[in-house]
Amino acid sequence: MPVIAVPRPKSVVDPNRPANALLMTQVQHLQHAERRLPLRYRSEIYIHAIKTEGEAAEYIREVTEAIHRAHADAEKKRAKAKKGLQLAAAAARPARKTSKKKAKKTKSRRK
Amino acid sequence: MPLGLDNLKHIVVLMMENRSFDHMLGSLAAVDQRIDGITNQVSNPDTAGNTVKAQPLAEFQGQLDPDPDHHFPAVDLQIFGGNTSPDRVANMKGFVKSYFNQRRDVKHSQMIMYYFAQAQLPVLTTLALEFAVFNRWFASIPGPTTCNRAFAHYGTSFGRVDLNPFEIMAPIKSIYSRMIAATPRRTAKIYYYDTSSSTVEVVNLLQHQPELFGTYRQFLSDCDKGLLPDYSFVEPNYSDHLTDVGAEVASDQHPDHDVQAGELFIAEVYMHIKRSPLWPNTALLVVYDEHGGIHDHVVPPPAPCSDIFTASASSTGTGVEFKFDRLGVRVPAILISPWIPRNTVVDRVFDHASIPATVQKFFLGDDPQRSPREINADVFLESTTGPVDPQRNLLSLSTVRDDCPEFDL
Repeated sequence: MPVIAVPRPKSVVDPNRPANALLMTQVQHLQHAERRLPLRYRSEIYIHAIKTEGEAAEYIREVTEAIHRAHADAEKKRAKAKKGLQLAAAAARPARKTSKKKAKKTKSRRK
Repeated sequence: MPLGLDNLKHIVVLMMENRSFDHMLGSLAAVDQRIDGITNQVSNPDTAGNTVKAQPLAEFQGQLDPDPDHHFPAVDLQIFGGNTSPDRVANMKGFVKSYFNQRRDVKHSQMIMYYFAQAQLPVLTTLALEFAVFNRWFASIPGPTTCNRAFAHYGTSFGRVDLNPFEIMAPIKSIYSRMIAATPRRTAKIYYYDTSSSTVEVVNLLQHQPELFGTYRQFLSDCDKGLLPDYSFVEPNYSDHLTDVGAEVASDQHPDHDVQAGELFIAEVYMHIKRSPLWPNTALLVVYDEHGGIHDHVVPPPAPCSDIFTASASSTGTGVEFKFDRLGVRVPAILISPWIPRNTVVDRVFDHASIPATVQKFFLGDDPQRSPREINADVFLESTTGPVDPQRNLLSLSTVRDDCPEFDL
């Protein structure tokens, strides 16, 4: 089968093209998600001023990355807390003492 | 067990934006009569009383501006021609009238009937002729993007027929959640183009399960390394934007984005899978989320059943409630695998609920905790857990093809 040539698009990238309804919807959905993020992750972009694809893309990037960052930070915090709990539990656990009788029993079971 | 299904380990779905079957693949009726595309009979009336025939005059960009209306009421007009009586019959005669409503320009409204000549779309038309093209794949809802894409992820839109966020209602889960919760655990990922393009499924999946997502670059790398998950869903680039490394052109083919950029994108996805060690183990579905207000001549059939959700009369915008009992307008859909015979044409009815239905049945088996629409949707890959009906199995070859097309990237 011969190799089929794929024509390169002639259009130039135009971030100033007015954003379509899908992009504006995506922006609104991301704002919905952004409102649920802690304040330190929120963007400073005023979404009602977004008119172009480039502006929409900038907001979409900021909030998408913020969502990933917020989850990654929460995961780190969870892991740290879990490690802390394990260390605390290990420190609090009394050293095990095995009685001579019990040790003998275990030994005989092994046989 | 047919060897193709036996070897199948990965399903990849690439969902493009807003083009109808006739607009993209209608020209192929002239090449293969089994493909239900454009004939001389296909036409719509315009608002001046002229008959407007479908013509191969579509351009890659600049023609469909403004973006043709594809909200629920506009699609209702497109399908029923403006007839709102209770006993109306769908006739697909309202596309030109609907587009006229946006610019009040008769000549411009006729462009909604334009389709691409075969030579203009070498990637999509070659893939359609070389693998399996679906004559009857419909959008799940006669409406816009968000609710239609919801069907691809959940098998329902939870009662929505618009672009508003929806809430997931138990016990229904996304196909990704089902996969990663399965025993043995399965893998699933949504690859968006980059963080500036992101995903359309923000409010539920990105917000709550960002670990499900990767970028398109990661997808290409996963292909090359043979590390694709069991199920991958790929989203194109939704916008022209600048990044730290350069400029990115929208590849989603949403009007008025450049259709050739989408052709290149589809070719790149295909070629990376084809050159990957996973090629004999992968099936790629290329499908469009909805018709984007662009003409198609096939009347959407009733859905296999109603959904458990109903869109109220006020939310449809037509004054009539919708029980999700009719499919949306027909869209292009092509299934690609080296186990599919050349020139396969599929006449069975599918919609986007078929996507989670197929992934579920293939990887996980049956599950009653799904939407009725998904449970009743047809599957495009047969399950390997029971006997396989040879009439339904599309991956039917006994050896891997070595004559699959190559695109020059």
